[in-house]
Amino acid sequence: MRSSAMSELLEVLRYREILWNLVRRNLKVRYKNSVLGFAWSLLNPLMQIGVWYFVFKILFGRDEPNFMALLVTGFLPWLFFSQTIMDSTAAVSQEMPLIKKAYFPRTILPVSVLLSNLIHLGFAFIVLLALFALWGVDLNIHYLWVIPSTILVAVFAYGLCAMLAAWSVFYADVKFIVSNLLGLWFFLTPVLYPLKLVLDKTMESPDNWVEFFLQSNLPLFKKIYVIDPLTIAIEGYRSALLEGGAMPIADPRYPFWHYAIGAAVIAVATAVIGQIIFRRKADAFAEQG
Amino acid sequence: MSAIEVRDVWKKYRRPHVKTTSVKEAALAILRGQQGYDEFWALQGVSFEVQQGEAIGLIGPNGSGKSTMLGMLARVLKPTRGTMSVRGRVCPLLELGTGFHPELSGRENVFLNSSLLGLTRRETQQRYDSIVDFAELGEFMDSPVKTYSTGMVIRLGFSVAVHMDPDVLLIDEVLGVGDEHFQHKSFGRLLEFKEEGRTMFVVSHNLQSVGILCERAIWLDRGRMVKDEGSDEVITKYKAAVEAWERSLAEAKTRDAPAS
Repeated sequence: MRSSAMSELLEVLRYREILWNLVRRNLKVRYKNSVLGFAWSLLNPLMQIGVWYFVFKILFGRDEPNFMALLVTGFLPWLFFSQTIMDSTAAVSQEMPLIKKAYFPRTILPVSVLLSNLIHLGFAFIVLLALFALWGVDLNIHYLWVIPSTILVAVFAYGLCAMLAAWSVFYADVKFIVSNLLGLWFFLTPVLYPLKLVLDKTMESPDNWVEFFLQSNLPLFKKIYVIDPLTIAIEGYRSALLEGGAMPIADPRYPFWHYAIGAAVIAVATAVIGQIIFRRKADAFAEQG
Repeated sequence: MSAIEVRDVWKKYRRPHVKTTSVKEAALAILRGQQGYDEFWALQGVSFEVQQGEAIGLIGPNGSGKSTMLGMLARVLKPTRGTMSVRGRVCPLLELGTGFHPELSGRENVFLNSSLLGLTRRETQQRYDSIVDFAELGEFMDSPVKTYSTGMVIRLGFSVAVHMDPDVLLIDEVLGVGDEHFQHKSFGRLLEFKEEGRTMFVVSHNLQSVGILCERAIWLDRGRMVKDEGSDEVITKYKAAVEAWERSLAEAKTRDAPAS
């Protein structure tokens, strides 16, 4: 296992020329024919955030200090994750002409999706820092905490991306299931609300079976919620960008490092399993469609 | 030294009954106890060797396994059984003109396609002018490929492929691409490859071209090797077999006609 993973990596490195070209192509194509080009990397999330701001702050009158900053910092890692997952369903199935044309390690395809989206996140980040500078926010060293947070989501996203990319070749349904599950997952991460809301949640009198189910295992579900690599990464971003690197989560019932290590284990396991699934399916790609 | 070695190669395909593309269909098929597919052998125990510098043609009717063989030599497909090895840098001329991204310019696509065939960016840069020149697309290289005609796309695909520096060329039905002029030119380029002593493996229905390019030919029929001899003999025998088969078809028709 170890040696085959090693040789896989070497093979990808040997074909890095294709990898860079695919990444370059993905980047060029996404905003082709748009006047603003790469600026959309941040404009897109900003406009989305504008919509939420309007809905929650103005329509619903949610009263939270720093609401806008909370949204931006939570949405960036989420957007990177969800975009990678959305792209993954096309990562192999849309590249059939390349696959049938020549040999290259197929792992390059999910890797190129991951790298393209990391670069988009990078662009978004640069624009965000520029905005911070404009607003007179002092940049500080604690911002570097976004790096481990990003690595955590990236590893996790890669695993899901690889397995979804492989399954999508054989089952068109994967795409639809994925987009709907992502919609649910979004609300199960603390992007739109502070984490505290979930951690302090109690359920007194369940009305229906879903609530009953949740109430019966509430402490467990909360633990799962917190150990989700997305939750950890989002809280990591907020701590880095808004709280000067203060310990994320800040709830003694949920010691951050325990959950962060748990999330890292989940992310790595997902990546390994995803890669194994991808490799087992890869030989059959060219025979499909 | 042999450039290509193919030993007892078998290739099995699954041919789905009804194309299963959804989880629901797959689940229903399992519930009904259906396997959902037929297995069929596209290649059945084919073996041969190709010496370095040799040009060899692969002929046979549709469905005889020619493209499958080529796909496996290009490492796009994997043999179900048996082993094969190809020595040196392989340049597959398969699916020409595919793999171009419609939104990107001709130039950008040349770099993408070249890297797919194994060239580094620097190598592509060195050959770029020559690639454009050969494709005769000078003024179009900065326009998106979606604005190209089919012929232009294929010319560009061919041009990129023949600017590799291959030890082994795998050629699938590309002898008749483009207009008359480009056909002459591309055929001339292939003859040059041959003179340069590169190994060539040609799949084509154009028997005349196979006869000119290749000194040796393999005739495949339904996954089995029928003949492996000098190209002129194999082509003559193959033509005779096709004619005999067509005659028998015609006879069967006239025999059945009065009855109906």
